[in-house]
Amino acid sequence: MTETVTAEPAQAEPLLEVRDLRKWFPIKGGMLRRTTGHVKAVDGVSLTVAKGETLAVVGESGCGKSTTGRTILRLEEPTGGTVVFRHPELGPVDLATADRRTMRQVRPRMQIIFQDPFASLDSRMTVGRLIAEPLVINGVLKGQPLRDRVAELLTMVGLRPEHASRYPHAFSGGQRQRIGIARAIALDPDLIICDEPVSALDVSVQAQVINLLEDLQERLGLTYVFISHDLSVVEHIADRVAVMYVGRVVEIGTTKELFYRPKHPYTEALLSALPQPDPRNRTEVVPLTGDVPSPANPPSGCYFHTRCPYAQPVCSEETPPLRTLPAEDGSSTGTVRQAACHFAEELDLKGAVVPSPVVGGGTDEPFAPVGPRPGSAARTDGVAS
Amino acid sequence: MTTHSSARDDDTIVSVRDLQVEFRTTLGVVRALNGVSFDIPRGKVVGIVGESGCGKSVTARAIMQIIEHPGRITNGSIEFHRQGGDVATSQLLTDDESAPADALTASGGIDITRLDPRSAAMRAIRGAEIAMIFQEPMTSLNPVYTVGSQIEEAILLHQTPDKEKARQQAVDMLRQVGMPNPERIARSYPHELSGGMRQRAMIAMAMSCHPALLIADEPTTALDVTTEAQILSLMRKLKAEIGMSIMFITHSMGVVAQLCDEVIVMYLGQVVERASVDEIFYNPKHPYTRSLLRSIPRIGMTEHAPLEVIKGSIPDPYTRVTGCSFHPRCPDYLGDVCRDVIPAEALLAGPTRHGAKCHLYTDEGRAALAAPAATRG
Repeated sequence: MTETVTAEPAQAEPLLEVRDLRKWFPIKGGMLRRTTGHVKAVDGVSLTVAKGETLAVVGESGCGKSTTGRTILRLEEPTGGTVVFRHPELGPVDLATADRRTMRQVRPRMQIIFQDPFASLDSRMTVGRLIAEPLVINGVLKGQPLRDRVAELLTMVGLRPEHASRYPHAFSGGQRQRIGIARAIALDPDLIICDEPVSALDVSVQAQVINLLEDLQERLGLTYVFISHDLSVVEHIADRVAVMYVGRVVEIGTTKELFYRPKHPYTEALLSALPQPDPRNRTEVVPLTGDVPSPANPPSGCYFHTRCPYAQPVCSEETPPLRTLPAEDGSSTGTVRQAACHFAEELDLKGAVVPSPVVGGGTDEPFAPVGPRPGSAARTDGVAS
Repeated sequence: MTTHSSARDDDTIVSVRDLQVEFRTTLGVVRALNGVSFDIPRGKVVGIVGESGCGKSVTARAIMQIIEHPGRITNGSIEFHRQGGDVATSQLLTDDESAPADALTASGGIDITRLDPRSAAMRAIRGAEIAMIFQEPMTSLNPVYTVGSQIEEAILLHQTPDKEKARQQAVDMLRQVGMPNPERIARSYPHELSGGMRQRAMIAMAMSCHPALLIADEPTTALDVTTEAQILSLMRKLKAEIGMSIMFITHSMGVVAQLCDEVIVMYLGQVVERASVDEIFYNPKHPYTRSLLRSIPRIGMTEHAPLEVIKGSIPDPYTRVTGCSFHPRCPDYLGDVCRDVIPAEALLAGPTRHGAKCHLYTDEGRAALAAPAATRG
C-alpha cells in the first residue's frame, strides 16, 4: 500500500483540497446577546489529500483538529475558505458553497468514524438496522439485497452476519467500533474522516481496529483523514502528517520526515513528550511549560512563542506563514514539506527517539517473539455472548 | 500463590494476599478479583497494567476500602505497614475501640480488610496514610468549592485544626506541584482550570497529608502527551523528594517503562505476571504480557506491517473460565492442562523476584509438553 501511495500522489489530482478553511464560533455576551468575539477554532487551514493516502492531523486537545474534520464534511458551516472535493461524476465540487442538492450527491462519498463507540450508535436500533441505515436513506438497496449487503459488511469488518439482530449493548468497545466502521463503508465512499477512532479502546483492541482500517483501505482504495493525538498510532498508519496548534497548521510533511527531522519547535515538543516503551531508555523530557493559549484570545505573532524554547523577539511580533521548505537533499520528489516557523531552516530540532533496533535475538531483545505468533488477521474478534 | 505468601519483605508498605472481591448482581456473581497477591515495596513505583475490566481499579479501591455497592471483599488480606515502625501502626487501632482485635497482624501491620469502611481507624488511614488520585479530575473535584478550600478540607481533617495554617499549607502544596501563581489558583474553581492544572490540584490534595502510599488510577489517561509528560516528571520529583510509594494504574506501556520500578500484569482479576520493569520489557514470560507488549504501535518499529493482535476478546464477566483464564486467547496453548488446571505461580530464576502464572513454567505444563501431541488441543 505504501509503495503505490507515496510514489504517485504528486502527479495525481488531489481527492481533497482545503484552502484557508476557517471556522469561528461567536461568543455572545451582554443583555442583547451581541457577538463580543470569536473562538477561532479553525483559522486558515490548508491541506491537500491525495487519493488512497492517509493524512493524519495531530495536536493537543482544543487545537481544532476535530472541528477541521467536521467542517470538511460540512457538519459545521465553514466561516470562510474552500473545500474542493473531487467527485467521481461531478468533478471538483466546492463543499463550502455547494447547494443542498449537490451536497446530497456528494455526502455518500465522504463518511466519518467517531471516537466514542458507546455514544455514536443508537442503542435502540439493532446492528442490522444501524448498518442498513445509510443504504436505506440513500435508497440504494432494499429487501433481500439489502440484507445480503449488511451481512457482507459485517463479515468485512470482522463480525458475523448473525450479529445483525443484536443491539449495540451486547458488544464490546472494539466490536462497536467495527459497527461504526461498517456504517462508514456501507456506501462505498472515497474519503473517510477518522476522528480519534481508537483513542477510547484498550491497547490490544486498538491494534485490531488499526489493522482493520489498514486492511479496508487496501481492499477498497479508501482515503483517510486520520485525526488523533496518539503519535505512535499516527506513525504506524499515516503517510503524511499535519500538526495543528491553536487552529492553525504549523507543520506538514511525510511521516518519516516529520518524525525524524521536525522543522517546527512544537512538533519537536510533541515528539519528545511521547513516553518511550523502553525502560532502558528513560528520557527526562523538558516538558512544555504552560498551557495551550485560548483560541478566543490567541497571543500575537507566532501562537507558539509563549511556550517556545527558541523564541526570539520577532516571534511575538510577526506571524510566520506556513511556507514550503526547500528539499534538504534534493532527492525528495514532489513531497511538499511545510512549516510555519521563522527559523525553520536554522533550527536543528530533535526527532523521535527510535528504540534500540531489534537485531539478532536472545532475551535482551524487547518483546522477543517466543512460540507461535498470533496471526495478523484482524478479524478474529470473539463474540460476547 | 502459596509460594510467596509466607515471605514478606520487611520493607513492604502494603502486602495483598489472596484478595477476592465479588459483585453480586441480579444477573449473577462477578468475580472482579480472584486471588490477587502482591507487595508494594517502600519508596518504589509499582505499575499495574492490564486491559479494562481486569480488576486494576477494583484492587485500588479495595485497598482504600471504597469498593462500590454491591462489591465486597470475600477473602484475603491487605496488610498495611505504616512508616515509622510498628508501634505507630498499632497506635491507629488503639485509638479506635470499634476496631476488631484481629485487625492487628502478627507482623505488626494492620489488615485493612478487617476494618469497617466507616470506622475511625479506616478514616485515619484513608487520605492521611494512603491517598488516591483518579482518572478524570473534573468529576473528582467538587465544582462548587474553590480548589484551595478542597485541599484545606483534607488538611483540617487530618493534620491541624488551625484554619490559617491549613490555608497556607494548601497554597504551599499547590506551589510544590508546580502551579504558577498558587495563591490565585487556590481561590479559583475547578472549571476555571485546564485538565492538566486540575490533575495537579488533585495531586496537591492527595499529597497534602504526606501519605506513605499514593494510589494513582490512570491519572494521565485523559490528558494530552505534553501535559502527561509534565505530570509524570512531577510524580518522579515528588517520589524522590518525599520518598513515598506509588501504585500506578495505567494501560499505557510507555508510561510504565518511563516511571515504574516494578510491574504487575493483571488479567481477569488475577495477577498473571510480576517482575521488575526491565524484566517485564526485556524478558516477559507470560504469553499475555508478551502479546500485550507486541500489540502496541512503537515508533520506528512497525513500518506499516500489521500490528500483532491478541485473538478474541475478554470473556463476559459473568462466565467463569476454567483452568488458566487466558487459555481461550493464548498463542502458546498447551491443551488440556491449560483448559482444566489453574496454574500456580512459578517463581522464575533470576536476580529479581519474577513470577508468572502459566503452565509453560509449571510441572504439569512441562509434563503435557513432553506427552505425545495427540493429547494436545
